[in-house]
Amino acid sequence: MNFAAPLLLSLKLSSVTTVLLLVLGVPFAYWLVFTRFRWKFLVESVVALPLVLPPTVLGFYLLIVIGANSFIGQWYESIFNKPLAFSFQGLVLGSFLYSLPFAVQPIQTAFASVDKKLLEASWSLGRSNVYTFFRVILPLSRHGIITGCVLSFAHTLGEFGVILMIGGNIPGITRVASVAIYDEVQALNYGSANMYAAILLVFSFVILAAVYFVNRRFTRTL
Amino acid sequence: MLSITLKKTWNDFALDVSFDIPRGKITALFGPSGAGKSSILRLISGLEMAEDGFISNGNETWFDKAKGINLHPQQRSVGFVFQDYALFPHMTVEKNVAYGIKEKWRMKEIKDLISIAGLSGYERHYPAQLSGGQKQRVSLIRAIARKPDILLLDEPFSALDWQTRIQLQEDVKNIIKQFNVTTMYVTHDVSEVYKLANNVIVMESGREVKRGTPEEVFLGKRLSTRVQITGKVVGIEHDYIMASVTVMHADQFFKTLIDTEELKSLNLRVGDDVIVGVKSSDVILFKI
Repeated sequence: MNFAAPLLLSLKLSSVTTVLLLVLGVPFAYWLVFTRFRWKFLVESVVALPLVLPPTVLGFYLLIVIGANSFIGQWYESIFNKPLAFSFQGLVLGSFLYSLPFAVQPIQTAFASVDKKLLEASWSLGRSNVYTFFRVILPLSRHGIITGCVLSFAHTLGEFGVILMIGGNIPGITRVASVAIYDEVQALNYGSANMYAAILLVFSFVILAAVYFVNRRFTRTL
Repeated sequence: MLSITLKKTWNDFALDVSFDIPRGKITALFGPSGAGKSSILRLISGLEMAEDGFISNGNETWFDKAKGINLHPQQRSVGFVFQDYALFPHMTVEKNVAYGIKEKWRMKEIKDLISIAGLSGYERHYPAQLSGGQKQRVSLIRAIARKPDILLLDEPFSALDWQTRIQLQEDVKNIIKQFNVTTMYVTHDVSEVYKLANNVIVMESGREVKRGTPEEVFLGKRLSTRVQITGKVVGIEHDYIMASVTVMHADQFFKTLIDTEELKSLNLRVGDDVIVGVKSSDVILFKI
């Protein structure tokens, strides 16, 4: 069995999930900050659910929703000719939902902390909301965006419960590094388990250290 | 002319005003804190919406509750100078000033504007590297760079120390005069009104209580009393905007600033005999 395959799959899953979270999480966080929707607190609660839910709960309900007998599962299979559950795409969906608060909350906090006077200055200088977003809000929120991306990436990398529930342990398709560790321990291959675990530990530490370093530098330059 | 009629209520505070702002003049909104002065600027600029009334700039209607018209701040030709500057901290002085300029061909004007504000050499500096007075100058020329029909200044000097305030008041007056932009500014400082404003509107509890020139409002009549001192011009220094003339009377020296244009029209030279007129409103008394 290829030792690197689970690690590469973990990296691929984390990268795809992070890109998706960045693309969809930024406009979603913007909406959360500036909307006057009265039920916003319910939306925020749903987004934050993965922070408190056991991963198996999310995994279980996802399995029900995307399983072969569900409407979504059957619709997906009719279009792509393969099931959504126990596929890489299914893992991406699960990871996306599971890491959503890790991406959205830091970005939302960063957007909300931009001084409203700066936005008003931009509008009074004749600039549109879109221009203001790209020239003022986004650059001043970059620390939140970097934090959101890195936390999502690291969180997806260490994900286990949701993946096992909706992806199982299919080599090359859903067997990511965290599942591989569990698998190796079950087979009493502690040496291999240790290698996977050590690599994940070092990788996660380096990522977090990089976030703190970048944020510190950013704070100094402002 | 900017015509304004505005009504708005915030909890237990009601604003109800109606006035015209003459073009090319500096109008001060004077009154104690909480009189509704800053709110008027925010309503004019479109940063807040009134419950009733209208705002028209010449033939253009910016707000008309009855007709359902309410232009966005971006659509109103307004330059807003905030009390705490509101400079973009991640942009240099140059980028801040250029922010509101949409026409590429106008970019060359940025250097001139920065020079007028006395900030040449600071183009690549960030706001955090500037003093309070410099920040307010950047904020002012950034607002002017957009070539607004009306310039709104919300207590522009209140965050500055006394010395910087005096110097900046003079600079702001010159810059506004140079661009001949209709200006409305908020203050609760009488000396500032005398120094800068052509007209003053006194506000109290959301309503206008007095209006006129500073002399009419604060002294109740046109000021005629003035001290006259005869003397001899002993020094003239000038640049392309302002001239500093030093006059000697007995063993006292008086230094005054006049426009360079005015200096030329008077054909003033060192050695000429002159009369120095001092308005009583310009005299400050200190107890010693």
